[in-house]
Amino acid sequence: MWEGIVTGFATALTLSNLGWVLFGCASGTIIGMLPGLGPITAIALMIPVSYSLEPAGGLIMMAGVYYGAVFGGSTSSILLNAPGVASTVATSFDGYPMARAGLGGRALAIAAYASFSGGTLGAIALMMFAGFLASLALQFQSPEYSLLLILALSSVVVFAEAQARLPSLITLLLGLMLGTIGTDQLAGIPRFTFGRVDLADGLNFVLVVMATFALAEALRMTLQKDQPPPTAVTASQLKLSWQEGAPLLPVIGRSSVLGFLIGVLPGAGATLASFFAYDIEKRIGNGSREAGVAAPEAANNAASTGSFVPLLTLGIPGSGTTAVLLGVMLSYGLQPGPRLLVDQPEIFWGIIASMYVGNVILLALNLPLIPQLAKLLRLPSRLLIPLIVAFSLIGVYLTTLNLFDLYLMLGLAVGALALRWHNYPLAPLLLGFILSGLLEENVRRTLFLAESGWLELARPVTLVLMALLLIVWLSPLRGRSTENPKP
Amino acid sequence: MLLLVSSLLPGAALAAEPERLHLLIPAGPGGGLDSTARAIGKALQSSDIRAPVSYENMTGGGGGRALGHFVETAQRQQQTLLINSTPLIVRSLQGLFPQSYRDLVPIAALVAEFNAVVVRADSSIVSWPELIKALQADPRSVTTGGGSVRGSMDHVVLAQALEATGINPRAARYLPYDGGGKAMVALLGGEIDVLSTGAGEVLSYVASDDVRVLAIAADKRLAQLPDVPTLSELGTPVVFANWRGLFAAPGTTAAQTDRLIAEIEAATGSNTWQQSLAQYAWTPLNLTGADFTLYLEAQEQQLQAILSELGFIR
Repeated sequence: MWEGIVTGFATALTLSNLGWVLFGCASGTIIGMLPGLGPITAIALMIPVSYSLEPAGGLIMMAGVYYGAVFGGSTSSILLNAPGVASTVATSFDGYPMARAGLGGRALAIAAYASFSGGTLGAIALMMFAGFLASLALQFQSPEYSLLLILALSSVVVFAEAQARLPSLITLLLGLMLGTIGTDQLAGIPRFTFGRVDLADGLNFVLVVMATFALAEALRMTLQKDQPPPTAVTASQLKLSWQEGAPLLPVIGRSSVLGFLIGVLPGAGATLASFFAYDIEKRIGNGSREAGVAAPEAANNAASTGSFVPLLTLGIPGSGTTAVLLGVMLSYGLQPGPRLLVDQPEIFWGIIASMYVGNVILLALNLPLIPQLAKLLRLPSRLLIPLIVAFSLIGVYLTTLNLFDLYLMLGLAVGALALRWHNYPLAPLLLGFILSGLLEENVRRTLFLAESGWLELARPVTLVLMALLLIVWLSPLRGRSTENPKP
Repeated sequence: MLLLVSSLLPGAALAAEPERLHLLIPAGPGGGLDSTARAIGKALQSSDIRAPVSYENMTGGGGGRALGHFVETAQRQQQTLLINSTPLIVRSLQGLFPQSYRDLVPIAALVAEFNAVVVRADSSIVSWPELIKALQADPRSVTTGGGSVRGSMDHVVLAQALEATGINPRAARYLPYDGGGKAMVALLGGEIDVLSTGAGEVLSYVASDDVRVLAIAADKRLAQLPDVPTLSELGTPVVFANWRGLFAAPGTTAAQTDRLIAEIEAATGSNTWQQSLAQYAWTPLNLTGADFTLYLEAQEQQLQAILSELGFIR
């Protein structure tokens, strides 16, 4: 392995490959920062560039674009409440309120440091344990996925404030329902599409997130007369003192490990990781807003690194983004999979080694940008609101190139605003929507497998997950006896 | 300067000046359709047949949006070719698309991918006859799966092969996965016992001795898998190719069609195209014009029969 690591750094540190990782990280960050545009768009946009490169340089650049976009994605979540990708949705929960309270610069700085740590820890883990984890990922079959997803969905309801649990459950179910629109994934039959081709693929993620988060927020700001005065951002806010930063270190450590492990699972990935990390910090950690930004950011960066495990070792793309990367590898005549490490060690290790370099570059690129970005918040609302509206509409249109989607988006935004008005939280709706397809697919396969007996499905991982699920479900009861001693 | 002059004077001395071509791809970047379109585009461009070649990925409706758009705007798509594949026929038959290949002008089939029937290397089933024996004894004793929904290619190929051996395909268990990759995880992890998927997706797992290919639904053995028998050799005459090919817009004149066919034939003869075939391990399927149309008709009949049998169309 050490030989491989040396080979990897020898590949990653050549002048041209350093140039490509810098180029990839910079373009990834910029694309990722734009609301509505996430890693998958960034990678797709860079495919033509990759065709003209050598395999190692091209893949190093594309990997840079990928984690660069994940790194940059937190910016629009924090500043505009407009996450461009599912994995930064959780970042906006505490990041956006921090930005509204004038702490945007600090939130961005925390996000940058947490992303850097998550990405670097992820790269170390990838280097050490890739082979071992690949075999672990195989243990995760449909029943395990179903339970993990149910656990994630339950946590978002259970870990909410006591009085918000019922509204959370309701919006969660709404989200799950929205996710059933489109073609049935097992039988290929269209559902709730009213015969429209526009709906055959279901609602687009960017569309739903922009409607329920960015657009609904812009509408709310417009309707609310008393605007908080825009606050100035000073450079001093960027400096995290050691006293402020130190409590975040364990948060980042925990979340990175968790993120990496979930990221290794094909299909689940960065989104689940960031929600889990956020929930855990809110429940078990001190629950500060700083921790609420650090946890999902560390987790999603570690997870996107983790998603290279199934791609590089099994040849299996765990997410839409890695599926596009797989296509790029095939276009170079590379066959990702168990043979890659043996046949092309310089590519395997080169990509991993370039991740260390890439994370350093990303931190160096992002920190100086933060004061400039945070100035955005000083824009008066009469400028900021049209900007958010324009960016979210353009982001969706560029993703789907379909006018129908814009009408749909406006309709959803109005619905989301009505829910917010009555204190129904929208995060569970989004989580339900994102995970709906995956949950349905896995539960249906599990039911099919259970035909030959439920006992066959009682395996170590399912039993552990069921125990965790039971603990999560029962935890509100314990809380109740201490919160309200008198009935 | 020369370039400027020739672009200012269309029609004058243009014999050597290639025209532009647009390729409409009904899928996202990075997949099989996308890479095939870009490979043929590259071949057209490097052989100076057409330049520039531009690409448009139009996802949506499982390819239905691109198809609908192409047919509706046919009049201004005279310099556009749509790339498509076997699911075009499957979805038209199931009524998921209001249009079918009959609404298009078939130009050429480019490549074919054949389905493989795969088991884990340590599986107790080591040959196709053994699989059949096990299924004949109890059709639910073996769990099969594939990288696409029920009634789609991975399912249909397997169902046809089972039916040819006298097993009721509706009695066999088939678990669908979202893509060949996830189905492969399910096979390696033991959730399914038998996987039906494109041969190209299994090559690296064969090389690493993780899986064994029982049979291939091709007319002859594949160069990359010389030891794997075809289903026909095993007494189950099922051949099924997932073709990828190019179509012109409805209303394309016969002269223009002939020209496009000649151009694609020239491009598939080029070294650039041969290199792409080797790089992606694609099997060439050189059918043009009327031959391609006949091929599509035959495949439609084959699919119609098995889809009715499976209950996906009435």
